[in-house]
Amino acid sequence: MAGIWLDALDDIARTCQEHGRGDLLQAVRLKRAHLLDPTLTVLVVGEPNQGKSQLVNAIVNAPVCPVGDGTTTVLPTVLRHAEVASATVVQTPLTRPGTPPAADPPAVQRTPVPTDQIAAGVGGSTGRLPGGGPAYIEIGLPRGLLGAGMVLVDMPGGGDLAAVGAGAPVAALARADTVLLVTDSTRDLAVNELNMLLHLTRSHSNVAVVQTKTDLVPDWRAVADRNRRHLADAGVPAPLVPVSAALRLHAAATGDHALNAESGFPALIALLRRHLAAKPDTLARAAVVLTARTVVEQLAAPLRAELTDQRSAEESAPMARLHAAQREVDELRRCATRWQNTLTDEMADLISDIEHDLRDRTRQILRMVDEAFETADPLVAWDAVAQWLEESLVEAAAANRRWLVQRCDWIARRVAESFARYGHGSLPPWPLTASAEYGAPVPELERPNVDRFTVGQKMFTGMKGSYGGLLMFGLALTLAGMPMINPISIGAGALFGGKSIRDEGKQLLRRRQATVKAAVQRHVDDFFIQVSKDSRDAARRAQRVLRDHFAALTDELQTAIIESLRSAKEAADTDAAARERRQREIQQRMIRLAELYEQAQQVTAARPAPLAPLA
Amino acid sequence: MTGGRLDAGVRDLLHRALHGYRDNPRASELLRHQLARYDQPLRVAVVGGWRSGKSTLLNALMGEEVAPVDGSAFTWYEDGPQPDATGYSTSHPPQRLTVLRSGTGMRVDLTGWRAGELRDIVVRWPARSLRQVTLLDTPAIGAADEQATDPVLARVLREADALLYLTRDARGADLRILGATREGVVGQAAPVHTIMVLSRVDESGGGRVDALLGARQLARRALRDPHVDSLCVTVVPCSGLLGLAGRVLGETEFTALAALARVPRAELEPYLLSAERFARGEPPAGLDAATRNALLERLGVVGIRLATTLVRTGCDNRVALAAELVRRSGLGELRESLNRLFVDRRHVLKARSALTAVEALLRDEPGPVTGDLLAALEQLLAGAHEFAESRLLAALRDGRLGFDAELAAEARRLVGGDGDEPAARLGIAPDATLAWLWETAAEARWRWREHAEDPGIALPQRRGAQVVARSCEGLLADLAAAHAR
Repeated sequence: MAGIWLDALDDIARTCQEHGRGDLLQAVRLKRAHLLDPTLTVLVVGEPNQGKSQLVNAIVNAPVCPVGDGTTTVLPTVLRHAEVASATVVQTPLTRPGTPPAADPPAVQRTPVPTDQIAAGVGGSTGRLPGGGPAYIEIGLPRGLLGAGMVLVDMPGGGDLAAVGAGAPVAALARADTVLLVTDSTRDLAVNELNMLLHLTRSHSNVAVVQTKTDLVPDWRAVADRNRRHLADAGVPAPLVPVSAALRLHAAATGDHALNAESGFPALIALLRRHLAAKPDTLARAAVVLTARTVVEQLAAPLRAELTDQRSAEESAPMARLHAAQREVDELRRCATRWQNTLTDEMADLISDIEHDLRDRTRQILRMVDEAFETADPLVAWDAVAQWLEESLVEAAAANRRWLVQRCDWIARRVAESFARYGHGSLPPWPLTASAEYGAPVPELERPNVDRFTVGQKMFTGMKGSYGGLLMFGLALTLAGMPMINPISIGAGALFGGKSIRDEGKQLLRRRQATVKAAVQRHVDDFFIQVSKDSRDAARRAQRVLRDHFAALTDELQTAIIESLRSAKEAADTDAAARERRQREIQQRMIRLAELYEQAQQVTAARPAPLAPLA
Repeated sequence: MTGGRLDAGVRDLLHRALHGYRDNPRASELLRHQLARYDQPLRVAVVGGWRSGKSTLLNALMGEEVAPVDGSAFTWYEDGPQPDATGYSTSHPPQRLTVLRSGTGMRVDLTGWRAGELRDIVVRWPARSLRQVTLLDTPAIGAADEQATDPVLARVLREADALLYLTRDARGADLRILGATREGVVGQAAPVHTIMVLSRVDESGGGRVDALLGARQLARRALRDPHVDSLCVTVVPCSGLLGLAGRVLGETEFTALAALARVPRAELEPYLLSAERFARGEPPAGLDAATRNALLERLGVVGIRLATTLVRTGCDNRVALAAELVRRSGLGELRESLNRLFVDRRHVLKARSALTAVEALLRDEPGPVTGDLLAALEQLLAGAHEFAESRLLAALRDGRLGFDAELAAEARRLVGGDGDEPAARLGIAPDATLAWLWETAAEARWRWREHAEDPGIALPQRRGAQVVARSCEGLLADLAAAHAR
């Protein structure tokens, strides 16, 4: 019969090895050795002063563990069978932290204690070497119950029940077959006791609650009922046995069987014997199931964690790179549109601004020329004005061109800004830095053809004017009997002649001025058309240069980014495949673990009644 | 008088706080309440875990069966001319509750109230023991949540001046709960307001008749534990059940016990092995079941064992048996400790709870005056020699310092254990002249200072001597002030 659970246990051990968990393997091996050992280890735990030691005394019917007010068990006491009563303090040397538990425990120091000093030994004051490791006291007693293969362990009552067993010298909890939690009848089970029970039932199949000191309290039955209800409420499947150690000891002293029955101990001992008898079979099966559960939980936990980790971690490194590369591509596309728009808009602005500027400058020059020729005579002032005009125009064109260059430069930088995040917002090799030559020379300013007022013309005009005056006044004076030619008419004729000459002269000046103005106007217009055409061409050229430069840059970047996208995609694909593989592997392992657990379960299922619960 | 100085300082602090917080109605209300409380009787709360024997101990202290009234409400026992009870709940106005008197006490009629509905019950009861002390029975404090301060305990610390903290073993969870309450400057100061009571000691040690002796040892050992020592002023073992039984023992009960005692020991013993055997079996004394149950209820099986033994060994009348039961229960010592350490030093405890309240207020509602007031509070605490005196008094009472009897008596007198007046402290006639007082005090101061600096004496004794010398210096300062007047 033992074969089935042994096989299951070996399976568990193999699985531990497969998973590379040496620690679990060690634990399973210990468990195996322990289950093959026919003795039943009974651990007695509980809060202080609940009567644990008295319970142990009453079970073996001997005052081995010291009891009384304020006497506290400091060392765990192990009671096992011996032909002659003896007591020994067993102390394991301190193991260095970090060293793995060796397969064979280190040699222990055993100090015999005289039987009359057991109390001091249990109190922790005798037989313990200073600076040694954890110790326990081992007491041998010639008792039938112990001889049948039972080992009783009386644990010190800890304020913190959950800590019991953590590093306890006999590695108590790990090896116990049955755990008895002791609570006294003067009060109900406390919350921390229930917590400890829950903790215990997870790792031990046989847990029982012993309610002591029933002799003190008349209504212990009510307390027991309440405690059973507490246990049921908390979901602890532990039987409750009310006992009275005082009655049992008294019964032993007087040999009173009825009193012994009344003490409740026969039920407890029957329970322990049942556990002892069941150990090689039922208990072992249950232990195997619990071991399987612990091991499977331990093994599955990291796997499950890894699985959820993988599922949740869509953003693994290759995937993250892929996403980043995709984002880069999008970003580049946006960047390309952005810089093209910037360039077009800025250039359109530039052209209109430059033209407007040039127009403004020429207009001003023109206005000044106009003003100048409002009064000046082109005959006199032409050369000076023409020279000034020429200089002004050249200067205006140069200023305009300088501005154009500056603006182009600024636009180039502005567009380059779009590439700032790529690190190299380089400017194009700039062709516009030097003031460029004009496409065609500006036409020379021709000297306009202006009429001069010659001496002959003056005489003729004077004659024409004086004739009228002479005749007008001569005729009138003839009426007064004076000759036609007389001094008065001659005077008037001279007067009229002079006026005619002056008028004529003025008219000629006006005409000359108008002619000059028109000529200048024409010249400036020509100049304007010429220069603005040049500027526009220059701006277009600049735009083309910029466009070509940045388009090339964009292409370059795009090639690099596409390349990285492709590599990221490849990496992500391989990663996804690897992950898929790992997931399948984990799932298979989980299935295997589930099978293992199933198998372990079947060990008990083969025997439908696992452990008869006590009434 | 050093006591008067602390008193005045605390009152002054309360008034200053009241002035500083005059714009804050809640704080003003609280401070006014504290001022009013200052002149009321000392409030002593009986605190402990579930079934730790709170109500039994309270009954034993009062000598009558008046508790418990309601397991989930705070029950206040005040002195009053007529038995009378008032219930306070969160939802209803205060309401008179019917008090039903019984032979040995009273019962409050709670019909019509749901469990947990009443928050406070104030019982007025004519009893001499309540003249100077208001006793407070509290709901059980739980061990479930170890991080947070228990709400019941928090309220007790707010409203009571002193605690009787009931524990079964002075270890583990009980200490943790009590330790969690030491917050703030005042909380960190000497714990003069807690007496730890080892309760239900009759049941310890497997119910032997000499259980109390063992419990005394346990108490002494607990006091040597620095962890326990830092939480309470002393540890007293007490069996409330036996004490109460002694105080209310009736003639019929004595007759029944005497009848039991007449049965030969060997014959009786099997029936006294367990409570159930005594109740169900047919003991040879011919007592009917009702009487036996009443005895069990009153004394417990251990108590019956003890009582029959006592009757056999000489306590052959009711008065003698009752006295012996009270003596063995440790109730006398508890009452003595209560009187010496709490009632006699009530001004210290009152000052302490007022300071606690002020500190809590300052921390909860910081205002413009908080800094000044906190500084004043700390100064007051630093100068309060009274706490040290209280501690020394307790230590002298349980003899843990190891002074010989004569020195111990003198030390107790000097730190105010026999009265707070200078003459009483110095142990001379009350009509002594100032010069004589001065001379005696200076001499005592010199002697105790010598003692404190003697390297041949154990450290605890030297510390104690230091406290005494400091008290003498305080006396000299007071005398000098009196002379200047």
